[in-house]
Amino acid sequence: MRRILSSVTDGRGFDILLVSITMIFLLALSGMPLVYNVVMSFQEVDMFNLNTFSRPYAGLENYREVVSQPEFGLILKNTAFFVFGSIAGQFVLGFALAMFFMMRFPFAATIRGVFLVSWVMPGLVVGALWGWILAGDFGVLNAILKGIGVIDSTMFWKSDPRLSIWAVTIANIWLGLAFNMMLLSVGLAAIPRDLYEAAELDGANGWHRFTTMTLPMMRSTIGAVLALGLIYTLQQFDLFPAITEGGPANSSNVAQYWAWQYSFLLFDFAKGATVSVMMLGFVLIASIVYVWSTRHEVRG
Amino acid sequence: MTLAMKTKLLAGAALSAMAVAGPLVAQEEVTITVWSIDGANQVGPSDTFSAEFDEMDNGINVEYRILQFDEIVNETLRAYATGNAPDIVSLDNPDFALFSSRGAFLDITEMAEESDVINAEAYFEGPLNSVSWDGKLYGVGKYTDTIGVFYNKDMFEEAGIENPPQTWAEFEEYARMLAKPDEGVYGATLSARGNEEGTFQFLPVIQMSGGGYDSVNTEGAREWLSMVKGMIDDGVMSQDVLSLGQWDSTGTFNSGNAAMAISGPWEIDRMVEDADFEWGVTLLPTFEEGAERSSALGGFNLGIMSTTEHPEEAFEVLEYFVSQDHRLFPEFGYLPTRGDVELPQSGIEEKDAALAVFQEQLQYAQPRGPHPEWQKISKAIYDAEQAALTGQMTPDEALSQAQSTIDGILN
Amino acid sequence: MTRLPVPRLFLALAMVLAAIYLFPLYWMYATSLKGQSEIFANPPTFWPRDPDPSIYPETWERRSMGRFLWNSLVIGTGVTALTVLLGTGCAYVLARYRSAWVDLGLFAILMLQVLPASVMITPLYVGFNQLGLLSYPRTAVILAAAGKAIPFYIVLVRATFMNVPRELEEAALVDGNSRWGAFFFIVLPLARNGILVLAILTFMQAFGEYIYAKSIITTQAYQPASVGLSGFLGPNSTDWNGIMAYAAIYVTPIVAIFVILQRRIVAGLTSGALK
Repeated sequence: MRRILSSVTDGRGFDILLVSITMIFLLALSGMPLVYNVVMSFQEVDMFNLNTFSRPYAGLENYREVVSQPEFGLILKNTAFFVFGSIAGQFVLGFALAMFFMMRFPFAATIRGVFLVSWVMPGLVVGALWGWILAGDFGVLNAILKGIGVIDSTMFWKSDPRLSIWAVTIANIWLGLAFNMMLLSVGLAAIPRDLYEAAELDGANGWHRFTTMTLPMMRSTIGAVLALGLIYTLQQFDLFPAITEGGPANSSNVAQYWAWQYSFLLFDFAKGATVSVMMLGFVLIASIVYVWSTRHEVRG
Repeated sequence: MTLAMKTKLLAGAALSAMAVAGPLVAQEEVTITVWSIDGANQVGPSDTFSAEFDEMDNGINVEYRILQFDEIVNETLRAYATGNAPDIVSLDNPDFALFSSRGAFLDITEMAEESDVINAEAYFEGPLNSVSWDGKLYGVGKYTDTIGVFYNKDMFEEAGIENPPQTWAEFEEYARMLAKPDEGVYGATLSARGNEEGTFQFLPVIQMSGGGYDSVNTEGAREWLSMVKGMIDDGVMSQDVLSLGQWDSTGTFNSGNAAMAISGPWEIDRMVEDADFEWGVTLLPTFEEGAERSSALGGFNLGIMSTTEHPEEAFEVLEYFVSQDHRLFPEFGYLPTRGDVELPQSGIEEKDAALAVFQEQLQYAQPRGPHPEWQKISKAIYDAEQAALTGQMTPDEALSQAQSTIDGILN
Repeated sequence: MTRLPVPRLFLALAMVLAAIYLFPLYWMYATSLKGQSEIFANPPTFWPRDPDPSIYPETWERRSMGRFLWNSLVIGTGVTALTVLLGTGCAYVLARYRSAWVDLGLFAILMLQVLPASVMITPLYVGFNQLGLLSYPRTAVILAAAGKAIPFYIVLVRATFMNVPRELEEAALVDGNSRWGAFFFIVLPLARNGILVLAILTFMQAFGEYIYAKSIITTQAYQPASVGLSGFLGPNSTDWNGIMAYAAIYVTPIVAIFVILQRRIVAGLTSGALK
């Protein structure tokens, strides 16, 4: 007994205690819903058995039906577009901004701080704001684009099936930019300046320095940013009801919104769970990327 | 109705409610929870009546909760499943069968027979059907509405058009004449949004061309979709009809950016206020002159959840709501679901004329469903409409895909 | 080589970029000050013709925003406290070792993030109901939202702990400190900046929490500002100046706090604890 006690205050037990309290909490609040969804995806669910675990077993029927929906392919494609488009946009713009603000000029840090604003904005507000900006006839984006001569006819961002997925992706890039830029700035700041100066003396040009020094040194940061970005993009929900509602005709519908539609619009809880379980695959990849990237971390 | 009559009716209703409640005062207070969407944007009947009933000293408190239109069904469903359901809930009429078909609403057939306030026979057929299941009564209609065509009389006059459109061909012809793309004026607007609102406006077209929710691929529906798509492609109608709800879509009519708008009586009060032009309403067009008419049946119902611990008190609250039906139109601009309530003239000429048209239109209004899986049927219908209007599929492809989805649900 | 103009050029460029980025925010304030008809004007006006600030007190009053914001504050504070309490120690341990167990832990933490809140809410609701937690709706929302916030917090605070030199902790242990002592008196103070910054960010995220609050809190008196806002955004929303005024009142305090603290936040994030 005393050994356990002393281990808790002064040994391995201390670590285990710290981790396990948190883990138990997370298992209860995130693990339980996860298991619940997985179980539901193999069952027949309706409003009368929502409250219990014992429900008729449906085998793979839910999966078969979800896959055979006419919109399945489109939604898969949209999800990939939304996820990769958002991440690419956030990451490239975020990286560019992070590098830009690493340069020495007046107020660099202050202005960089301003770029964090989208991080603190509630998703619901961002959705309403962008839904309003992207409106077809009285939206301000169209007015600006027309004003500077980029387009001459109205672009129906929310109603044109070729544009709607862009509308939500653009809004999401704006929303996620702060997060990407900040984490990448953290990574950049950790690279010792004298390394750059040495390389500059050696005559390495900017691009060369970027590919041979910046990128390798940033590997763990990049891994974390991409993995977290993927997870947060897959979780992004608030923008969809506010901007396109997944429409028109599912042209901007993505897996997470589809899962919601199944559960809360069509009241088919089992199919909603099925779609969300399918999304697990995506996150599995992200988690592996993240864990792999931590292997290259250097402890300060 | 004169003011004196109104006062008398009011007092009578309050008295009767009190008389029933009288013996209960001695007992402990009972709280009845009411969920509805009323009161989110403007004052509505359920929030008003709940507050009034709560004020009365009759041993029954009413706790009212506002929910969003998109959320009320699933919130109720989840609350019901976990034993936290409200006592009374107000649902859009096509959503009602989801609950009544499974006995989640209380069967009030007998209570209604004994009631002095609620008389099932007084209700219009459509609303009554939507609260009935298997020959039993599960609720009452709260208010009803339907759709017609609003038109801008000034624009019609300017273009030399004498009468509002009677057929869809005229609707298109006039819209094309009235559109002024350079000035940001569209010929017509409607809502083909990807939710219940899209189905609400599109289903009547299917019905008047001989179909119904169980057979959607009619020739008329295909023609209509091609017509609307043509109007969108030519800039006669905004492409945003695909994402705008009816309220927003009619907003563009009110601001003079569309010459015609398909919408319903809930718009009247705002239009009286906002529109600085003369306007009128006409019945929804038909395919041929004198051909079959149809329109949508909208509106909400009230039901008592079967899990309530206080069925009698909940029924009293319901009776109070029904006893106030005569206030629906003058105070809130809603049409009662029963024929025995007289609608007072407002004295505003356009409003009274519009009301007369909508009352006529109500005779042709057909309910959506009732079917316990209405939401899935509805999704198939609005998905098809959107797929056809965006050109992702031909009208025939879209409607036959919807038909096979619907067949899968019905069988 | 003339070096002087370049920083100025950069400054100008930075300001242009910031202006583009902040445009949505500007548009929120501009729209809130416009009149009903001006809002739907085509083309839109970039500066309100006749700014009408009376919409602010009006919206505040009519939407009982004081109560909503108070609830947001309660929820935000609760989530932040719980997250810092549970996340910090865990992040510290996960930063301290390099083993397959740590990999597994990180992996599990990320995997537990798989489901969007919108599909987690049904099981959580059912679970809370069985535990009787629905009678304490704000507490229930705090628990649920903390479950979402902790993984993110752990991943980022862990990076901060990575920057605390191991030698300092070991020296403290050699000096006779217990593990608790070393953690509380040596490691935590060194990681203070990062923890503080992430606590602030967690708070701001929780301040905007919507999905859980919407479903779990049925009594209006306990609902946060996000749910209050969604009351506007129904299918019949044309009250865009009201919506934007509400949104402005909602985000202005957090943006203001943020602008005041931003030097510290940026510094805390970009420089490791000791650099």
